[in-house]
Amino acid sequence: MMIRTKELTPITQRHPRPLNGSARQTMSLLQNSFEENVLTTKVDWLLNWARLSSIWPMTFGLACCAIEMMAVGAAHHDIDRFGAGAFRATPRQADLMIVAGTVNFKMGERVKRLYDQMPSPKYVIAMGACATGGGPYYKYGYTVMKGVDRIIPVDVYIAGCPPRPEALLEGLMKLQDKIRNTSVIRKPARTA
Amino acid sequence: MDFNSIHQRLLAINAPGVLSADTPRAADPEDKADKGRAGEAFVLIDRSEALNFLLAVRDDAELAFDMLVDLTGTDPDAEDEDLWLNLHLLSLAHGHRLAVKAMVPKANAVVPSMVAAHMAAHYHERECSEMFGIHFEGNPDLRNILLPDDWIGFPLRKDYEFPKEYHGVSCE
Repeated sequence: MMIRTKELTPITQRHPRPLNGSARQTMSLLQNSFEENVLTTKVDWLLNWARLSSIWPMTFGLACCAIEMMAVGAAHHDIDRFGAGAFRATPRQADLMIVAGTVNFKMGERVKRLYDQMPSPKYVIAMGACATGGGPYYKYGYTVMKGVDRIIPVDVYIAGCPPRPEALLEGLMKLQDKIRNTSVIRKPARTA
Repeated sequence: MDFNSIHQRLLAINAPGVLSADTPRAADPEDKADKGRAGEAFVLIDRSEALNFLLAVRDDAELAFDMLVDLTGTDPDAEDEDLWLNLHLLSLAHGHRLAVKAMVPKANAVVPSMVAAHMAAHYHERECSEMFGIHFEGNPDLRNILLPDDWIGFPLRKDYEFPKEYHGVSCE
């Protein structure tokens, strides 16, 4: 946590926050807000902990992988144990897009638009063979996009056709590991 | 009614466009090249009379084919000059079925729309149109169902060439 080693100067005398561009706002959340002798190392831990403990996924089933995703949300596997059980029906409230199924070109444009509508920081899990690289439609699927990473950046790929619910939970934990190791203060967490 | 009775009835009422009938048969054991013909018995019709044929067999009291079960296309070979148009009819009143085929030349794939006889033909014709490139003249709304509106080519034709890219996304 923050340790204050001497009295702060009044807020009116502090440096103004730079507000040049939305990408820098996260970075400058705490920048120039304190004196130089204030330690802020644990803020990373706090923000990462808050983020990784409540990753709200978007309701986004495209094919048979969605059935496994529903199983993960249900009582037997219960993704709510890891804070990611609040499936949102709108991209505006979601942190995570689980691309669960085959993405064809017609859907791909909608996927891109939904991803753009999500607020940062945002994460993507490509679930299953289709979303990872086209899967069984790789050779003769004339309308299937060979991997959703051709239109949006993917954080975690999950193998399987479809992956078992445990595999999706493992993918979620890999994403949590990734968030845990990001640093909000020193550099941008992510270049989306 | 069995297939032969249906065929006889089609000839008796002089149903428009009937060209011939074909039934499955076993291979001739004497002739090595003869493989017989598997599948279903069907009636071959003239494609330009497809709508009139459906109206005639729908309104005849003995046939009463009042339901269009399926309407699809087939492209047997890239070398062939013709596509097949396949219709499957069912009579709910009598419980008998009939398969109907028509040959559609690829160079001039135009068939009269069958929506006037069966509303069920509407979406089938739209799908057949986007997948095989058969134009159904008189269909009220022949937009694509599954493919994007700006898709090039007819994917279920045997000579279809896969796209290299779509809207800047590579397909390779």
